[in-house]
Amino acid sequence: MLDQLILSGIAFCRNSIGLVVRPYETYRRIIYKGSVWELVYIAVLAYFFLVSPVKVGAAIATYAFVVLAAWFVGQRVGGRGKFKSVALGWGYTIIPTVCWFFMTSLLYVLLPPPRTTSLAGIAFSVLFLIVSATLFFWKLTLGYLTLRFGLKLDFARILVVVAVVAPIVGVWSWGIYRLGIFKVPFL
Amino acid sequence: MRDVTYKKFIARWEEVVDLPPQTLGPFTPLYKALIRRLKVMPWPYFVLLATMVVLALYFLIGSTIALLVTLLQRGF
Repeated sequence: MLDQLILSGIAFCRNSIGLVVRPYETYRRIIYKGSVWELVYIAVLAYFFLVSPVKVGAAIATYAFVVLAAWFVGQRVGGRGKFKSVALGWGYTIIPTVCWFFMTSLLYVLLPPPRTTSLAGIAFSVLFLIVSATLFFWKLTLGYLTLRFGLKLDFARILVVVAVVAPIVGVWSWGIYRLGIFKVPFL
Repeated sequence: MRDVTYKKFIARWEEVVDLPPQTLGPFTPLYKALIRRLKVMPWPYFVLLATMVVLALYFLIGSTIALLVTLLQRGF
């Protein structure tokens, strides 16, 4: 068990760098050779940034909900991958989310809101949104690769899965927002 | 030694050809051109696209983006 944990730790570090530089090739490696033990490191990483047990619980529930929804809908449209692959692939898409939460937490301390409409305020807002959108596009790419490699779907079927799952996840996020756990949609 | 290399080659080959090539009818060349750029070091394209989206948003809603960022910053 300890061997697996150490090996998974090395694989996790290698994959994290690979997701930045070579996402396509890295995702293929994760799906075909990844171990579920790597999810332990993703969970630990998320825990450090989410801190609150309620938020951690909500994040884990959201993760499980998205994986189950993608798996269920993916199977209905002809997906032929393994559940483990989808779970592992979607687990790695948590990294952009954690990066965004880390950035937002840090900036909340350094430059607390509210933002003003001065030149400096607008410039910061534009920069913040550019970084946020960049991380979002990274997340979208990793999500696409999860469905492509994890469920072995083609582009049209991926669009169908997204069209079905996205509104369901939207309602879920709204529910979490109404409960006051996250004030922004947790993806 | 040759057997090991051959087995590794076969495993790698099976991994690569496991997924059939993606086709989108007349849009296939466009799809291939876009995806090729996202396979290795996609960050410059992410940043470029994000900048275009945010600037479009700024021209659309103006200084309201400051309010949007305030909401996002308070969201966590």
